[in-house]
Amino acid sequence: MRLRLDGYTVADAAERTGLSAPTVSAAWKAFREGGWEAVPVRQRGRKTGQATRLDESAQQVLVHLLATQPDDDEPAWSARALAETLNARGQTVSPRAIEHWLEARDLKPKPRALDELERQRTQAGRWYRQRVQPVLGAVRESGGSVWKGGVRVAKPVSGVPELPRYQLYLHGKRGALHTRCLTAPPKVNDYLTLFQRLRDHAPDKPVALMFHGADFQASAEIRQWLDAHPDFHLINVPPANGL
Amino acid sequence: MTSLTHLQKLEAESIQIMREVVAETENPVMLYSVGKDSAVMLHLARKAFAPAPPPFPLLHVDTRWKFRAMYEFRDQMAKEMGMDLLVHINPEGVEKDINPFTHGSTIHTDVMKTEGLKQALDKYGFDAAFGGARRDEEKSRAKERVFSFRTAQHRWDPKNQRPELWRLYNTRKHKGESIRVFPLSNWTELDIWQYIYLQDIPIVPLYYAAERPVVERDGTLIMVDDKRMPLEPGEVPMMRKVRFRTLGCYPLTGAIESEADTLPAIIQEMLLTKTSERQGRVIDHDSTGSMEKKKQEGYF
Repeated sequence: MRLRLDGYTVADAAERTGLSAPTVSAAWKAFREGGWEAVPVRQRGRKTGQATRLDESAQQVLVHLLATQPDDDEPAWSARALAETLNARGQTVSPRAIEHWLEARDLKPKPRALDELERQRTQAGRWYRQRVQPVLGAVRESGGSVWKGGVRVAKPVSGVPELPRYQLYLHGKRGALHTRCLTAPPKVNDYLTLFQRLRDHAPDKPVALMFHGADFQASAEIRQWLDAHPDFHLINVPPANGL
Repeated sequence: MTSLTHLQKLEAESIQIMREVVAETENPVMLYSVGKDSAVMLHLARKAFAPAPPPFPLLHVDTRWKFRAMYEFRDQMAKEMGMDLLVHINPEGVEKDINPFTHGSTIHTDVMKTEGLKQALDKYGFDAAFGGARRDEEKSRAKERVFSFRTAQHRWDPKNQRPELWRLYNTRKHKGESIRVFPLSNWTELDIWQYIYLQDIPIVPLYYAAERPVVERDGTLIMVDDKRMPLEPGEVPMMRKVRFRTLGCYPLTGAIESEADTLPAIIQEMLLTKTSERQGRVIDHDSTGSMEKKKQEGYF
């Protein structure tokens, strides 16, 4: 609550406290309605050993789904979309259980705290103020959407069967994760499909994507696609700046 | 009397070897490949002859395919050291545009490194060349003596090596023979890193982990250092936190994923590693015993 009172967004407060965005949001609502006493304070999570474990078949379906594209207009798989697809197949799984499953396999990257750069007197801070903020401001003004994302290689986890480890990921509003996993480094088509799905997600609106982990300058096809789609603003998060 | 640490013993041995070479040969040279071993060797040479500069030039046999950061570092070091830096590029290789992609690693290494080195040694008439090779790098280097004699055609005969008992070196040469001298032969990779740390020796930043654009080739991470690197159709380099344990021609040098971005972190990584740094060199895997064959033909 103190972070929210200090002006931090729900996403920022969630990231700083390690709580989920819905928890922060619910606590904020309770605080506004009933003050400090109305904010529920209790032990986090279930007791050890009471977690819902995904059965083998559900895990196999998840691995298969993560290698594909979702059927709806989501840019990539969210925990909710995965849960709905599994439920439609008769396997009752909650989005939360899927998030835990992803986290246990190093497939749940956190959103980069880029907004914090705004106040920093560093090279990264200057980059954010001069290169990023104007773009984000223009996109938001036009009613467009802002995404963070990247490509990474998940670390192998001992005791967990080998999975496709190349991960494309996006964080949308409130830091919700959308992801897709591949067995090999993503190629141009994988990136362009992701970009196109982001555009299709909110048609006729500009999109800004702050992306980390790929050297798009080396790809002529991506440069051409970006030239042909001026309403798609790809912001490459520079390497080696500790972001 | 206090006893020397193992690094001080290695340092003393290397300095003795360098002084021995300068005393016994007419025209020595120090091969400078810009890597960490070269950095240590150069540091030792400056110590061996201080306060005067080392009485020999540095020689870089350039292939035109080193990392850009290596060229920057080489020029900066040459300026700071005040030593003569000779750079030799095989003109025939340049004329034929020999490169690792079109001609393969074997031909590239043979023409640009082995032949280039032999040309440079002949051109300047050097009769002794210091090199930074170490025994722990590779099995053919393990059996090579500190003073490695080469014929007038620069060939090495591993079955005809001189004994080096009690660190006594026989430096007599037959006419036309030359010597390759390895002052760091008894050092390990870990020794090198500890010494760099203790002596605060500058090294190429590529040894420290950082995010760099890489592509995968046969399970090896190759850094895309410039636009000459041909990408496969649809390929996009990924930015991954990598570092290099060894440096050579960038298309033939594999990076390792690492978080070691400081010297203590590198040393800690070295303490846990079970593989040789040369596993990242594509040229070492050309064929069985390929390094020994290359050395017999004149490779360092």
